[in-house]
Amino acid sequence: AMAKLLLLCLKFIVLCSTVESVFEDQVGKFDWRQQYVGKVRFAHFDTHVQSSKKVLLATEKNVFASLNTRTGELFWRHVDMTGPEGNIDALLLHGQDAVVVVGNGRQLRSWDINVGGLNWEMVLDSGSFQASCLVGQQDVVKHVAVLKKTALSLHYLSNGHQKWIENLPESEAVDYQAVYSGGNGEVYALGVVPHSHIAIVAYSLEDGEIIKQVILIHSTPWLSDIQGSCAVIGRGMLTCVDSPAVSLYTLDLHGQSEMTQIPLQSLGLEVALGFQPVLVSTQPNPARPPLSEFFLQLGPEHHLLLQLNNDQIVTLRDFKPVRNCSTTSLSCKIFYILACSLNLFSAETGRRLLDTTLIFNMDPFGGKPETLYVQAFLKKDDSVGYRVMVQTEDHTLTFIQQPGRVMWTREEALSDVVTMEMVDLPLTGTQAELEGEFGKKADGLFSMLLKRLSSQLILLQAWIAHLWKMFYDARKPRSQVKNDVTIENLSRDEFNLQKMMVMVTASGKLFGIDSKTGSILWKHYLENIPSNAAFKLMVQRTTAHFPHPPQCTLLIKDKDTGLASLHVFNPIFGKKSHVNPPALPQPILQSLMLPVMDQDYAKVLLLVDDQYKVSAFPSTKNVLQQLQEIASSIFFYLVDSSQGRLSGYRLRTDLSTELIWEIVLPTEVQKILSVKGKRPNEHVHSQGRVMGDRSVLYKYLNPNLLAVVTESTDLHQERSFVGMLLIDGVTGRIIHEAVQRKTKGPVHVVHSENWVVYEYWSTKSRRNEFSVIELYEGMELYNSTVFSSLDRPHAPQVLQQSYIFPSSISTMEATLTEKGITSRHLLIGLPSGGILSLPKMFLDPRRPEIVSEQSREENLIPYAPELLIRTEWFINYNQTVSRVRGIHTAPSGLESTCLVVAYGLDIYQTRVYPSKQFDVLKDDYDYMLISSVLFALFFATMISKRLAEVKLLNRAWR
Amino acid sequence: KERTPLLWVFVQAAVVVAWCFTDIETGPGAGVTLSYQPNGDRFKIEGRAIVPGVKTQDWVSTARILVESEEYVGFVRTDGSFAVNDVPSGSYVVEVVTPNYRFEPVRVDITSKGKMRARLVNYIKTSEVIRQPYPLQIRANGPHTYFMKRETWGWTDFLMNPMVMMMVLPLLIIVLLPKVVNTNDPEMRKEMEQSMNMLNPNPELPDVSELMTKLFSGSKGSSKAGSSSKGTRPAVKRR
Repeated sequence: AMAKLLLLCLKFIVLCSTVESVFEDQVGKFDWRQQYVGKVRFAHFDTHVQSSKKVLLATEKNVFASLNTRTGELFWRHVDMTGPEGNIDALLLHGQDAVVVVGNGRQLRSWDINVGGLNWEMVLDSGSFQASCLVGQQDVVKHVAVLKKTALSLHYLSNGHQKWIENLPESEAVDYQAVYSGGNGEVYALGVVPHSHIAIVAYSLEDGEIIKQVILIHSTPWLSDIQGSCAVIGRGMLTCVDSPAVSLYTLDLHGQSEMTQIPLQSLGLEVALGFQPVLVSTQPNPARPPLSEFFLQLGPEHHLLLQLNNDQIVTLRDFKPVRNCSTTSLSCKIFYILACSLNLFSAETGRRLLDTTLIFNMDPFGGKPETLYVQAFLKKDDSVGYRVMVQTEDHTLTFIQQPGRVMWTREEALSDVVTMEMVDLPLTGTQAELEGEFGKKADGLFSMLLKRLSSQLILLQAWIAHLWKMFYDARKPRSQVKNDVTIENLSRDEFNLQKMMVMVTASGKLFGIDSKTGSILWKHYLENIPSNAAFKLMVQRTTAHFPHPPQCTLLIKDKDTGLASLHVFNPIFGKKSHVNPPALPQPILQSLMLPVMDQDYAKVLLLVDDQYKVSAFPSTKNVLQQLQEIASSIFFYLVDSSQGRLSGYRLRTDLSTELIWEIVLPTEVQKILSVKGKRPNEHVHSQGRVMGDRSVLYKYLNPNLLAVVTESTDLHQERSFVGMLLIDGVTGRIIHEAVQRKTKGPVHVVHSENWVVYEYWSTKSRRNEFSVIELYEGMELYNSTVFSSLDRPHAPQVLQQSYIFPSSISTMEATLTEKGITSRHLLIGLPSGGILSLPKMFLDPRRPEIVSEQSREENLIPYAPELLIRTEWFINYNQTVSRVRGIHTAPSGLESTCLVVAYGLDIYQTRVYPSKQFDVLKDDYDYMLISSVLFALFFATMISKRLAEVKLLNRAWR
Repeated sequence: KERTPLLWVFVQAAVVVAWCFTDIETGPGAGVTLSYQPNGDRFKIEGRAIVPGVKTQDWVSTARILVESEEYVGFVRTDGSFAVNDVPSGSYVVEVVTPNYRFEPVRVDITSKGKMRARLVNYIKTSEVIRQPYPLQIRANGPHTYFMKRETWGWTDFLMNPMVMMMVLPLLIIVLLPKVVNTNDPEMRKEMEQSMNMLNPNPELPDVSELMTKLFSGSKGSSKAGSSSKGTRPAVKRR
């Protein structure tokens, strides 16, 4: 028995070692990663060291990161929980410490920005966060104040300990919204009772005692919100703007108890109708009062620089038309303005500084600038220089240096990729010429010959040019040889390994990325995308139909209303197609791509609206005619998860539909989590599996099979379950039903060939489990030529097995190859950032518990309850992909090779070889060895021949 | 011909964080640490991660603490210690995740009263308790091994290959045997012939050595080349 076990182990080891993994010298050879942080919410330049290269970013993706301002690369990045628990509410920078308020004021953290490690972390009392500020006294900043709905607390910057916490008076009536400290040992909490009055409480910095409390009864009936409408200016002058009365109100926090009204007319100003004016003040040093200069925004493109001078407000400058204003501080005070060109103005005088104009060219397919972050510095000659980081509506960060040189750009929209496709690159001009030769009508033998000769000549010319370039490049040092990829020189490589990645992001920006280098070749920002939009990207025409351009269609659907629109574009160049998509007045329920093509080789897209009417795009006469002919064989299904209803429809010749089946899963018991069909571009090479006794077990390859995952509505540990329904999408017949008790979602499913793999959480054993279902026809095939759902009398044999998986998973996908000969792997995105390539043979319901001669013959691995995670199987080694949400696999021209793109917060592209590179020489192929052996053998033969001749001659003489 | 197309489904898997906590058996006389938080039923998981021989500032910026795979996330302080706040009672797998170093996961059980216990993770025997220190002390057991070793080619590998051994040894015998034994001695020849006939009792059967000789001489191109070097040709003589 021991020997058997040993043999078993040995076998296991042998099998494990056959699994492909990465070699160290392959790092970066055909893979790349891009790291993103998301849309910036707060940004601060590190100023405590002269010539610091850091900018700190807190983003809407709950990421806190430090960027190198010279290159735009990440120094470090911390990814917090998604959702409100990890939401960053505030970022305050002091010296080399960054204080961050997280999770609606739940946690206060201090980071060391040089190391990227945590200094301290404090859990604060519950209560929703309102505001926070640094508090200083006598030019030393030692504390941070956090204002919550009901309390104000003060913490030491050094260790986060709470110095004091005080309840806010009348906090149920007063809405405290701002906290202010001017460096004089007092902390002010500013509150408002909407449409009634302002309340101001001053606390002593030392012990939290209330020094003063001011309530101005019925003073501000027009004020509902402090943020934006009010600001503290100069030596503690609270200033508010009232748009109906067109006036400014000022109140001295230290003395007065009356508000002073200053009508804007007295300053010679007018307010644009319907625009809420915004006040912005600047406090460069928290230990000192704010500047007495401030901004007043009166319209979308109208800003004013005002100054408070001895209780008088003076206009320093009127900026019009100007989109954004921003302030930064240096020894002198400066303001910045943007209107596609940037200028630097002195805040004290309002005058423009010389040589500070910065012009940058906006991307015509990008968004408008939204926010400016300015870094000012003193040059060697004591003049002021500055750099600016511009954030645009399409979440792009651009860092610009004077006089308008773009240092780097970061496309932060790519942190939120929703869906993607990989499109073959077009053939080059010469390749297309060659292809065209075969497509054209024959016009005489002689001209054909000429054409043939000329195309061969072109090939020869290209080859010589290539050789010359190789020779030329070889002489130059390696660093100088650049392979710049541009749209113009893009062309398909011989194995079709380089493709165009078309990525759709949640912000509505589309990208075309070269899969080989990761460089962005085109980008296109779609404006007016609803925030809750769902996207579906379809390739209507590939690049194979030259001279027709390739065509992609993006269906954008508002999840609430169901209203959809189409964006048709060329996936190689990103240009909007001249083909006009139909207007879709009705909500769309379902969209489907047919394999039918119109006369221009565009696949037909069918859209089903909420009246169950079908419209086609393109809808030419040719298409409609084809549709009429094949209408009776077009079936589709709809899922209504809120009602728990699955229904199947058939198309009628007049493009109306008829209901043919319906399955209702009562929503009181279970809800539909997801419905997965098979990928339409999947090929299955072998119809069956050869068993140990040389018989064949045929696979049940139903292309219409749907895997419906359900979860119990009752989530109690004992009664919860996860269900798997296998339904034929044409007939509605339930092929198989499996239920896993005491389990719950989220469930990840991969449905391919004749198997379904799914992963769920076992509440009983508190672990993640995999289950695999395989379907077989049996030992003989019912109809081996064609599969029809309507004519399959026998139910398939179903095999199922489950395994323990020692980690939860983020996403899962199966590898895909050109012809489906290569064995399959599952690509599993783990929360740790690794992407595990797990061979499908580990998830095989035929894995035997007791090893027999036959199972050994079949190469079945003996059953083991736990699947292992081996880091050697990580296809991305240490290039982790944070928050991976999708893995896209695409076949390449080589059967052995599958292209993989994992996206989430980061994007990672690589190639995998599930059965190793059997159809191409490996990259470590030893040419030297093989040629030296060949030469050695050749010479050995020569020498031995010579020797033999000599010997023969000698013998003949004897 | 029928083809069921892809579907446009929006199923929002609402992740309901319903923590059903069953009372975990607390080991008798266990060193139990209480850790209360300001907010009643939420607790703090504390510990320290150590990478032997590496300065903390070199790895803390890439490290994260994952509690039950991103359900709760913590960060590592500059001294290597960590705390994950706001965790309700339950049983959790706590992992230190870095791209470069490997840490073993630990299961932490928190009772509804806030008693903490750490034990080894065992997914098969889920109730097995092998205690671990709490506050956690998680020591990295080396860097991750992501890469396979390339098969390097060396002379020793080549020579120790069984196929090469099988080829080289007979060759040596062929070359060396005639030198050691004087094959021109007629007595010796007779003796060898006899022993050959003993080995091959049925002369009708094709002889392996003969086949090999044919093959060998054929591949060499000159049919007689090998004959003289070998000296004796028992197979030919027998005919």
